Amino acid sequence: MAECAPYDVLIVGGGPAGQAAALRLHGAGLKIGVVDEQPRPGGQILRQPPATFVAADWMEERSYRPLKRQLGRFEAAPDVEWLGGSSVLGIEPGSAPGVHGLTVATPEGATGIRTRRLLVATGCYDMPLPLAGWTLPGLFTTGGLQAFVKSQGFVPGQRIVLVGTHPLQLLVARQVLQAGGRVERVVFVQPRSALLRPFLRRAGGGLVGGNALLAAARAWRDLGAAGTKVAFGLKPVRVAGEQHVSGLVLARSDGTEEHLECDAVGLCFGFLPQSDLPRMAGLAMERQGRLRAFSARHDEWMESDVAGIFVAGETTGVAGADAACVKGALAGLGMLHSLGRISEPSARKEAAPLRRRLARLLAFADLLDRVADPSGCYPEVDDQTILCRCEDVTYGSVRAALGTCGSANAVKLLTRCGMGPCQGRNCEFSLLRLMHGPSRCEDAGFTVRFPVRPVPIGDLTG
Amino acid sequence: MDRFDALIIGGGLLGCATAFHLASIGASVLLVEQGELNSGASGQNAGSLHFQMERRFLENGDALADQAAAIVALNRSAIEEWRTLEALLGCDLHVSMRGGLMVAETPEELLLLERKAALEARYGLDARIVDGAEARALCPSLSTTVIAASYLPEEGHADPRAVTPAFARAAAARGAILRPRTSLVGVEREAKGFTVELDSAEGREKIRAGSLLLAAGACTGNLAALVNVHLPVYPVALLMSATERTGREIAQLIQHVGHRLSMKRAHAGNILIGGGWPSRLASAAGGGFDLSRRATVIADSLVQNLRLAVRTVPLVRELNLIRSWTGVTAITADQLPLAGAVPQVPGLFVAAGGSAFTLGPTLARLLAGAMGGRPDDRLAFLSPARFNHLNSFMG
Repeated sequence: MAECAPYDVLIVGGGPAGQAAALRLHGAGLKIGVVDEQPRPGGQILRQPPATFVAADWMEERSYRPLKRQLGRFEAAPDVEWLGGSSVLGIEPGSAPGVHGLTVATPEGATGIRTRRLLVATGCYDMPLPLAGWTLPGLFTTGGLQAFVKSQGFVPGQRIVLVGTHPLQLLVARQVLQAGGRVERVVFVQPRSALLRPFLRRAGGGLVGGNALLAAARAWRDLGAAGTKVAFGLKPVRVAGEQHVSGLVLARSDGTEEHLECDAVGLCFGFLPQSDLPRMAGLAMERQGRLRAFSARHDEWMESDVAGIFVAGETTGVAGADAACVKGALAGLGMLHSLGRISEPSARKEAAPLRRRLARLLAFADLLDRVADPSGCYPEVDDQTILCRCEDVTYGSVRAALGTCGSANAVKLLTRCGMGPCQGRNCEFSLLRLMHGPSRCEDAGFTVRFPVRPVPIGDLTG
Repeated sequence: MDRFDALIIGGGLLGCATAFHLASIGASVLLVEQGELNSGASGQNAGSLHFQMERRFLENGDALADQAAAIVALNRSAIEEWRTLEALLGCDLHVSMRGGLMVAETPEELLLLERKAALEARYGLDARIVDGAEARALCPSLSTTVIAASYLPEEGHADPRAVTPAFARAAAARGAILRPRTSLVGVEREAKGFTVELDSAEGREKIRAGSLLLAAGACTGNLAALVNVHLPVYPVALLMSATERTGREIAQLIQHVGHRLSMKRAHAGNILIGGGWPSRLASAAGGGFDLSRRATVIADSLVQNLRLAVRTVPLVRELNLIRSWTGVTAITADQLPLAGAVPQVPGLFVAAGGSAFTLGPTLARLLAGAMGGRPDDRLAFLSPARFNHLNSFMG
């Protein structure tokens, strides 16, 4: 593996947080690199089509405009080196205030990278929701659906049903419509009042996040105009189909079932921070939000408990793109300060308005988290349902293992749950929920192992 | 206060298998494990059943190699043990005994193979030296750089995830009590046995035991302090890696006589790669190692290990690496396992010190006999008595 000269700052993640940090750092004469798995910057929220591909009216929705402006500035910054199409495989923290090491799979093979300051801003991903039939082709997370639509203008189904607790599915449904797809129905598991009341109660106070709410309201209106029904109070029971999704079975509150015919289902029950790199690096983690998801702990400058490693964006708790930008800017400022490029009083002065804005954004995020809380909405799963898709481990075999196993790692060893290529990203959350109920347990989850992403052995051996 | 004939410390393969054998002869047994059953080296190792002499025994000069060769006799017993283990425990342990090839790529390595074969023959083990062509006829995935190999048809692999839990279930079915998440915190010696204090989420508790077995892997040396003896058991952190599942056939256990390499295609189809490359143990603030924190991968170890794997079995190059992991095992001052009674403390037994997947079921059977009053000569050379000089002022 080749190694190049150390970076002053290496940022993992080219989404809103990583961009904001880079934009705060650039111009200070630092060697800055940004690593991202996608070939082009933007993160999941502004996932760009390939450079050779023109997607008409890409991300036209008004609420994306500030993010698109930031993306434009980021792409124009001359002193920020873009390392796209590359996956960080592992982090080896150096001794403070030393140099941290990363192993990165680039399109040219694996390479070692060293950096004085590291920012992990790797975003979040859709919470996987096991239910009967969830491994059938045609079953997506809404994030997965959205990635198709955003990057390729492609709709992977003729008749799509979205179901979940998160209002984001309204926006995704409209994006599907705009891309020429047909959305049969958008189903909220919670009753209409549970979705709307908390927002209405707060609306009088000049709510931050109003843009997001307006976007959702506009999407709802457009869905209505296009004939897509938005339903409430229906719980998913199972996905129907033999070789492919052919329908979704929903339960009404009176216990009766409704069968919806469709060829694609999108699930939208919330988001989990990408926590594998911080956990591998040994950063202190905490459980955040109503999902009690692993997120990286940090101080007021977004520095983790390992000196020189900073965290920002959804990695530190899912709070939306606007909050991610502010956290990224704070992390940029924090790294500038820790590299001695800005005095503490100046940094504090600059940070003060950012922190005030962040507090308001986090209050809105908390409201959204409450509204979208899936606790109590989870489908019942029988013993035949797959929990770990990589290794085909069923709920039945995991339930049997829980008789003797007291930790996620012990279940992994006994059942192979989490032993596959995804390293548990698709099953760990559901396993912990099964083991400890929806909340409040101290289980540290699976030990995260190198490499965080599968890598051809030939790439490592040269 | 509850009283047991035997208290076993450590819920790994040695502990659970000894509990099974003791319970089978009617002893009352309590086993405690500070973490989860099978969470240490017994579950983290890569499952090799290696009955040829390990190359590590050949690395450090003739004197140590000659001494270690005595283990070959035990390896022969282990072959029979593994042949019958699934029937004994009544479950599928994914035992595969389809042969093992220890390969050589240079004339010097071939000489080493021949020396090893001579030592093994002294103890009745007949590994056959085959040339490169015959080695590749046995295992077509082997590289053309292989010029010779020593072949033992009984070698192979089994599933470390399955073996210890199977012994644990069988022990429990015969009346042994197994308590994970329970630590040993104090030992008082008495005229006939011990009073020990245990700690768990339910609080502290004292029980009495006629005999006490320390089978706690890398922690064994520290636990020995509770009975005021030295047991020269040192932690070592090793590295193992798994590829994605593959349909490509590798029937045998593959090892290298000149380099640290072992590979096999495990039951699920992943190729497991290891062979003794070091990982980094966590160090404790006041000095020493912190065994409560996980060991970390040394990047250079990983690259070297994978390069050897690619060189020996080239198809590995195209496969995805999905996981590298570290496991902490133990070695003793003279590389041979420790198994038997500790002379300075009547009623105290120990079983630790490496090679304990391949030899674990056999050591446990013999040790249970010794704890039940029927010592076996085959364990004599592993007796802790060989380190009596360390305990002249202890006990």
